[in-house]
Amino acid sequence: MIWAAFTSEWTKLKRKTLSLSTFLGLAAAASLFVILMFSQASANGGIVTLHQLARPNGLVIGVARASMLLGVVAFGIAASQMASEYSLGTLRQLLVRQPRRASLLAGKMLGVITFLVLALCFAGVVAFVVALAAAHSRGVSTSAWFTGTGLGDLFRELGDLALATIGYSVLGLVIGLFVRSAVFAVIIGFAWLIAVENIITRIVPSIQQWLPGASITAVASGGVEGVGYAHGMILSVVYVVVAVAAAMAVFLRGDVTA
Amino acid sequence: MYRTGEPPGRSLAVSTAGLTKRFGDRTVVDNVALAIPSGSVCGFVGPNGAGKTTTIRMLLGLVRPTSGGGTILGGSLAEPATYLHKVGALIESPAFYPQLSGRDNLKALARLGRIPLTAVDPVLERSGLLARAADPYRSYSLGMKQRLGIAAAMLAGPELLILDEPTNGLDPAGIVEMRGLIKSFADDGITVLVSSHLISEIEQICDQVVMIRAGRLAYQGSVAELRATQQAEFLVAPEHDADRDLLAGLLRQAGCTVTPGKAGGLLLVEAPGADAAGLNRLSAQHGITLRQLGERTRSLERAFFALTGTKSADVPDGQEMGAIR
Repeated sequence: MIWAAFTSEWTKLKRKTLSLSTFLGLAAAASLFVILMFSQASANGGIVTLHQLARPNGLVIGVARASMLLGVVAFGIAASQMASEYSLGTLRQLLVRQPRRASLLAGKMLGVITFLVLALCFAGVVAFVVALAAAHSRGVSTSAWFTGTGLGDLFRELGDLALATIGYSVLGLVIGLFVRSAVFAVIIGFAWLIAVENIITRIVPSIQQWLPGASITAVASGGVEGVGYAHGMILSVVYVVVAVAAAMAVFLRGDVTA
Repeated sequence: MYRTGEPPGRSLAVSTAGLTKRFGDRTVVDNVALAIPSGSVCGFVGPNGAGKTTTIRMLLGLVRPTSGGGTILGGSLAEPATYLHKVGALIESPAFYPQLSGRDNLKALARLGRIPLTAVDPVLERSGLLARAADPYRSYSLGMKQRLGIAAAMLAGPELLILDEPTNGLDPAGIVEMRGLIKSFADDGITVLVSSHLISEIEQICDQVVMIRAGRLAYQGSVAELRATQQAEFLVAPEHDADRDLLAGLLRQAGCTVTPGKAGGLLLVEAPGADAAGLNRLSAQHGITLRQLGERTRSLERAFFALTGTKSADVPDGQEMGAIR
């Protein structure tokens, strides 16, 4: 049942406009951060030094810093995919063909998550190529990137980004389900992740470690100031589980009048 | 006038008892007991807001009944998964992904319902969309969108088709086309439940009818039986307008109910037990020659108004009077 819903969702997701804009958009965002990182790096200081970029983890610094942007994009796409089922009225068609609502929701969520994780992996590959070119243009040695440590850092970072993408996607899907309007879902998500959490953190810094966006960002970046990796991971899992449970409860019981 | 229960000799595709839906304090569907025979084409009639769509949504498992239940194709209404694989539905306006082609939209639904993808092209062909199957849904005309909705409903090879306002927004040619499609489904032995607020439309394609008003069942049974309950009505006009009052008096004496028409010497005559020949004979016996004598069609619209005691704003005035035959 879930597989049927998953393959059905992919029939929709793989349409040219959506797949191209998602894959290229995420790749462009990741590449932009890498280019900015290398172009702004200097020998003595700034955001990052050329020396830091030549270290084994130099390759992943740029991508890790782009994690918030990548997450926001993933959130927006996931939210709009779910909300549009309500606004287009397609949900009623889907439920007639698959009345087992839990299977339908699970399959849809898995479809969107795998789509976004694949897009993220594609963005990682493109950012890697861009980083190689940027390193060459700035005279940064890349030999340390290809050591065991460097490749380990790379795959660990990609794994963390994938986990964060899952977190952002699930939250996006759930917000889309509750709000039922693609535009409002995206606005609410963006406003929360970009503005509201920042304002709250500035007013009450100690609360940062309990916020969903900060927790997932900590996972994506291997931990950030104020939120450790393990803490962020545990809290993100809690947020995701609670969000999925709430979505299931509403989706299973709710009347479909759209 | 109100009839429920299983018609003799026919099993029921849809059977409900006490079906009720409340949204807050508002009761939208109130204690509805449907009995739709298998193989019939059943019209589901009522004004806008009568509760047709909510009833249909309950039958399709989209809306949970507040109380009551029933069976559809032998499966319990409480467990839609037990029967929906045998049901096709078009609910209100067709809803598809605008950027996907008609074919890909159907493929998405086929995959979801675990229906072989080989079923897609035949239903596209039957609905006359095969030539445009690769075009994006957003480029379709309203009629084509409606036909894709029908194709989607046919995808599972249904035993029961539920069509909610399938002619909405269609031009006259599209309506005729849709009527033909629905008749062809009936010829294939599929039970069809088709809702509309246009009673005259239902009258042309259905053998059974369910009438609903303010969430309550007003009538269900065969169209022929309902039509037979209607008193014969005639439009009568004397050759000379000056004879109108005399003729009206004669008809009233004969037990008819006479209503003067707006045009010329026209009279609308309700004549229980009489026929056109009888009216003609009566007029001739008193030296009045008729220039017009016609029996009005015993339309479902009149039956509907009689049953509900109201005149619906949803039925155009021009259709209300029916046709003279």
